[in-house]
Amino acid sequence: MSAFQNGAAPPRAIDNDSDVEEEALAADYREQVQYEGMEETSMTMAQQTDDIQSRLAAAAQPLDFSAPLEVKFASYDNYCSLFHFILNSDGPVDLEPPSYYWAWDVIDEFIYQFNSFCSYRNRAARQGTNSEEIQILREAPNTWGCYSVLNVLYSLIQRSQITEQLAAMKRNEEPMAVAGDYGSKPIYRMLGYFSIIGLLRVHCLLGDFSLALKTLDDIELNKKAMFARVMAAHFTTYYYVGFSYMMMRRYADAIRMFSHILIYVSRTKNFQKNAQYDSITKKNDQMYALIAICVAFLPTRLDDTIHTALREKYGDQLLKLQRGGPESLPIFEELFRASCPKFISPTPPDFDNPELNVDPLEHHLAIFMDEVKTNMWSPTVKSYLRLYTTMDLKKLAGFLEVEPEKLRNWLLVNKQRSRQIRWTDNGLLDGEVVGSGDLDYAMQGDLIHISEAKVGRKLVDWYLRNLARTY
Amino acid sequence: MGNPFDYAPDRPEHIDAILNGLDRYNPETTAVFQEYVVQQCDQKFYDCYANLALLKLYQFNPHLTKDETITNILVKALTVFPSPDFALCLHLLPPHILTPASASSALPAAGDAPLSEAVQKLNVLNNLLAQANYAAFWSTLDSDDLYADLIADVAGFEELIRIRVALTISQAVREIERSVLESWLGMQGEAFNKFVNEVCGWATDGTVVKVPLNKENEAKGTVVRENVKIEQFSRVIRRAYEQPA
Repeated sequence: MSAFQNGAAPPRAIDNDSDVEEEALAADYREQVQYEGMEETSMTMAQQTDDIQSRLAAAAQPLDFSAPLEVKFASYDNYCSLFHFILNSDGPVDLEPPSYYWAWDVIDEFIYQFNSFCSYRNRAARQGTNSEEIQILREAPNTWGCYSVLNVLYSLIQRSQITEQLAAMKRNEEPMAVAGDYGSKPIYRMLGYFSIIGLLRVHCLLGDFSLALKTLDDIELNKKAMFARVMAAHFTTYYYVGFSYMMMRRYADAIRMFSHILIYVSRTKNFQKNAQYDSITKKNDQMYALIAICVAFLPTRLDDTIHTALREKYGDQLLKLQRGGPESLPIFEELFRASCPKFISPTPPDFDNPELNVDPLEHHLAIFMDEVKTNMWSPTVKSYLRLYTTMDLKKLAGFLEVEPEKLRNWLLVNKQRSRQIRWTDNGLLDGEVVGSGDLDYAMQGDLIHISEAKVGRKLVDWYLRNLARTY
Repeated sequence: MGNPFDYAPDRPEHIDAILNGLDRYNPETTAVFQEYVVQQCDQKFYDCYANLALLKLYQFNPHLTKDETITNILVKALTVFPSPDFALCLHLLPPHILTPASASSALPAAGDAPLSEAVQKLNVLNNLLAQANYAAFWSTLDSDDLYADLIADVAGFEELIRIRVALTISQAVREIERSVLESWLGMQGEAFNKFVNEVCGWATDGTVVKVPLNKENEAKGTVVRENVKIEQFSRVIRRAYEQPA
């Protein structure tokens, strides 16, 4: 009887949204967490016996944040020689990855070190105090260069034929048929796969948000994706995709991404190992802040879990954001600063003109804040329009104490911004324009006609939830 | 309107090949992309995704940067407002580009001060367009000779902007006073009549211009009803089989 229930997994419905799948995934995750302990012990044994295995393991080890410059340089050299060995040996190297999450850890750490090195270098040039360090950095412009980092990621992707494999999987064919000598080995396949996600991240850090999303063309974002097996990868992917959407002003899509992963985290947090959970707690909070920003741009009904948590964490800020106006600007700025990725500039800084080395964050923030300012009157306008079915423009301008001309501009802006491109199918950059506001209006001379889209009561969700509770 | 962001109907094959391959990082392709920008300016078409690839090459190889190409790309991006294209281009420019001139003019070595001045000027235009402050847009455009230089390379710039303005108006307006529309379109008299009647196909009626009804400007109230699918109940139904009571 128990064999019947546990042994054969029930056939899963091919449906992205069902609870069943999430539970199956959660169960899968639980299994992995239990395995981890075993794998770690076997890894230590391997370390003693096998040098290359220890190098593989070392590549996935986080580097201390305050490590001195020489260590950062040495670490770069280590990665170069390791990747050189993996990519340019005579034929595919015969290695087993130390663990199922090893490939992710390596790519993750590789990009993290690239990221922090660039930030460090930029800061050193800006402050211009430590001349000794500046001299070292000046002499090694190619260390942690963006071309070499991209080169590694693209080479891993090409060697492993991972795009071909993913395309085959999409067509429901056997990926191994197109994997080639390299791609059929797990170590290449996994490195290639996570390199795609690494690219998403690097492009986003460099401010190229459309290319970041384009990079994921071959990966299907659903719970069966390979990245979903590694929690950190799953999490990172959705963070960067969501953030890129936000910067492309596709708030509906950004909210969808953030909500998906936050719900997943809230469902699985109970059986996550503590250390792992700590590291994602921060990103978790960042994503709630980003959701708050997106919701301010595009009022949306959120999932109950998300909504409750959002009110707990950012209740006051959310209120101010939603109210709009100049008072909301500092809050937008604060939340953006706290939750954006650590942007970098790809080229070595100008050591001779420290003032020119503006923190890339300030640059991206300035551009983002222009968009915020463009939108900041929309909440005010909407809150008034909601009260009427027809309204005289000059009268409303009187209420708001602005020039009628200004109000016309606000009305146009709000109308434009309530039209959003929303993903429906195919690549992440694809989408259709949807009028997403529940409020619509049109101007006839000075008369504003207002209509509201009423949402009928949604009962099914409530019904199902209570049904699940009872049975 | 349902086209992906990276799609451009007029993109030639060789550009497409570069964009989809690793050559998009090859500094030697800058010349090809620059040529392509010139084509876009001359022939009134637009390919944001390719232009972003060029800006990325500049980002990686600052010594290849051509100021004129950058400003032309930005001016082209203005012609497709209110899309985020202009902002997406800005994100790829050097971080100091938007810092006010007072900070950078103190530096004699800042070779690209003219570029950052031009970019900031264009950013002013972009913000005016984004804020739908069209009247101010036209007066700002006329206020400085630098603007005339900046838009000189882009064929039909004013016409392209007017069409976009008209498009955004048609989404929100059924009737509008002639004087307001004149200031928004930055034109008067015969030219105005011609543009409104022939290009937009709107009717002028004394001092009022009528915009035909379309999906966006009817502002019809709707009731969104819940769409219930059988799949949502799959779990309940399966439970019923799994655990007979």
